[in-house]
Amino acid sequence: MSQNIVHIENLVKRYGDLVALNHLNLDIKEGEVFGLLGPNGSGKTTAINCMLSLLKYDKGTIEIFGEPMSPDNYQVKKQIGIVLQNVAVFEELTVQENIDYFCGLYISEKKKRKQLVEEAIQFVGLEDYRKMRPKKLSGGLLRRLNIACGIAHKPRLIILDEPTVAVDPQSRNKILEGIQELNRQGSTIIYTSHYMEEVEQICTRIAIMDHGRTIASGTKEELKQMIKTGETITIESVLLDEKNLREIQALNHVFDVHYESQILTVRCTGAKHNLIRILNYLQSQELAFGRVFSELPTLNDVFLEITGKQLRD
Amino acid sequence: MLHLVIYNVKVKLRNFGTTFWPLAFPLILGTLFFFAFGNINDADFETVPVAVVKEEHADQVFLAFLDQIKNGEDQLLAPEEMTEEQAKEKLEDKKVSGIYYVGSEPTLTVAASGIEESILQSVLQSYENTRSTVQNIMKTHPEGIIEGLKAMMKQQDGVQELSLGGRTIDGNVQFFYALIAMGCLYGCFIGFGAAISLQANLTALAARRCVTPTHKLKLILSEQISSFLLGYVDVIILLLYLRYGLKLDFQGQMGRMLLICFLGSLIGVSMGIFVGSFGKMKEGAKIGIILGISMICSFLAGLMNNTMKDMVEKHAPLINRINPAALISDAFYCINVYDDTARYHRSLITLAVMSLVLVTASFLLIRRERYDSI
Repeated sequence: MSQNIVHIENLVKRYGDLVALNHLNLDIKEGEVFGLLGPNGSGKTTAINCMLSLLKYDKGTIEIFGEPMSPDNYQVKKQIGIVLQNVAVFEELTVQENIDYFCGLYISEKKKRKQLVEEAIQFVGLEDYRKMRPKKLSGGLLRRLNIACGIAHKPRLIILDEPTVAVDPQSRNKILEGIQELNRQGSTIIYTSHYMEEVEQICTRIAIMDHGRTIASGTKEELKQMIKTGETITIESVLLDEKNLREIQALNHVFDVHYESQILTVRCTGAKHNLIRILNYLQSQELAFGRVFSELPTLNDVFLEITGKQLRD
Repeated sequence: MLHLVIYNVKVKLRNFGTTFWPLAFPLILGTLFFFAFGNINDADFETVPVAVVKEEHADQVFLAFLDQIKNGEDQLLAPEEMTEEQAKEKLEDKKVSGIYYVGSEPTLTVAASGIEESILQSVLQSYENTRSTVQNIMKTHPEGIIEGLKAMMKQQDGVQELSLGGRTIDGNVQFFYALIAMGCLYGCFIGFGAAISLQANLTALAARRCVTPTHKLKLILSEQISSFLLGYVDVIILLLYLRYGLKLDFQGQMGRMLLICFLGSLIGVSMGIFVGSFGKMKEGAKIGIILGISMICSFLAGLMNNTMKDMVEKHAPLINRINPAALISDAFYCINVYDDTARYHRSLITLAVMSLVLVTASFLLIRRERYDSI
């Protein structure tokens, strides 16, 4: 079994009366792509900043690579790559200079650094922009530069805090593929996001956060097994009355019915023929309907069932 | 370290705000000073017109004295004899600067106060002093009157204003020493910017730098060195501009002046880094503090009033011992005016020690800094 690369125990952080981290516990194993998923304000970035010893915290312990983390634990810091939520590069330096500057904070050997900088530029696909200053770059390219600055020194642990915010789909895909590649190359990844699709796509293990605490954690399959929802069926353009809704609710394996703007959403437990059962009912009642969708549970369903609210609320 | 210094210099050089104003402002101020009073000692005074009204028992010697001044090489005065009415009318019309009433005791009437009126007063005073001396000699040693007059003539020729160290005594140069001191202290803005770039609670970039394994002392020192280099170059440009551009009378050795600027820039940058390193204060408040410190120090060193430093020395000498602007200004005085090497060295050592203390304090302030919020 892989060893814990990050161990957080009972972490409490308060901003006045607001509890930003409420006895947070996390264990992240070497080789994982670990996703911290939660809505804005759930405490993801605060947790990251505490891990990096940027923020004071009220209680708890943080260990990275088996050592207590502190602002002057330079040996630990040397093995970490950071991509912060806000782009943190020098406006006055070119793309290449920025990557070289940050790489130089970890790697002093000039020859080695030169090679690493070149690899980082190629990795994020900024070969054609190396002489450009950041203000000339689009949002997506800027994010890629931010990532290059964080990973150029080939760290053992890479922390990416919402690296795809305000990024176009093309750059987003490039970034996500890059993160998976970094993991294949041996880095452990901590990835925070409020985009569940991204987390589902790349993370091997996920912790869902809300109000500063972990409400569920595991692989995506494990998380989905934790909830009742096995299938969500959506039927558009259907006219239903109260009686119809009661009868649908009474069908086998249906546990939640939602009807709004002529759209019916039915959540069923994991069972065979849920869709056929519902369509048969509509047919028997001679009710016309439009498009039909059947979806397996998502992380949003997990979040919804546990917290009673949508992930993007 | 070199890697950091090179990039820090690049960043600062390419940042217009950081580079331009700390250089431009002292240059502009120096130029304004120069045109305001920089060459006041060389100014050509125009001949002062003065009315002469003869009264009963007019002092013929004074009339002859005025005549001598009128025809003298300097043509300091242009006396014109006229009636009292005419004289008053001309004084009212500002066609003359004053009226000498020449009776047995000459008197002066003026309608304003200014340089021309002061000259008229000075001429009369000079005459009265001389007359009094001659009368004393006549009373006590009439036989020595010829020798006495010769001695008085000799005294006039022999008196030459010199500073204690045999160098310039141009009082206005004090302003320029204070200006250079201000230029040095303006390095605090460069240092301040550098310190801010290490405060993780203020910018994402600073947060990013703080989570790297580079030792905080190394980060601070690299910022200190790069800020100092820029600040020092700025002050050298200012010094060269004053010395060779405006041709001010700086007679000290250039090497010694550069050494003052070196330590002056060091203290300026160190002050900025120190203030910028206060963790809990807002950036605007910090800017207010460094602006206040640099201006108050420069003011007390005589930037706006050339007697200020002397007043401080008289009433609160300790301030002059710890005010970096006063120390810089004083060091310039030591090599340009007093030729006082011991005092020069004392000022430089004080500046160096203060810089060291400030950088150490800055390091201690942000060494293990963790923030309440980011």
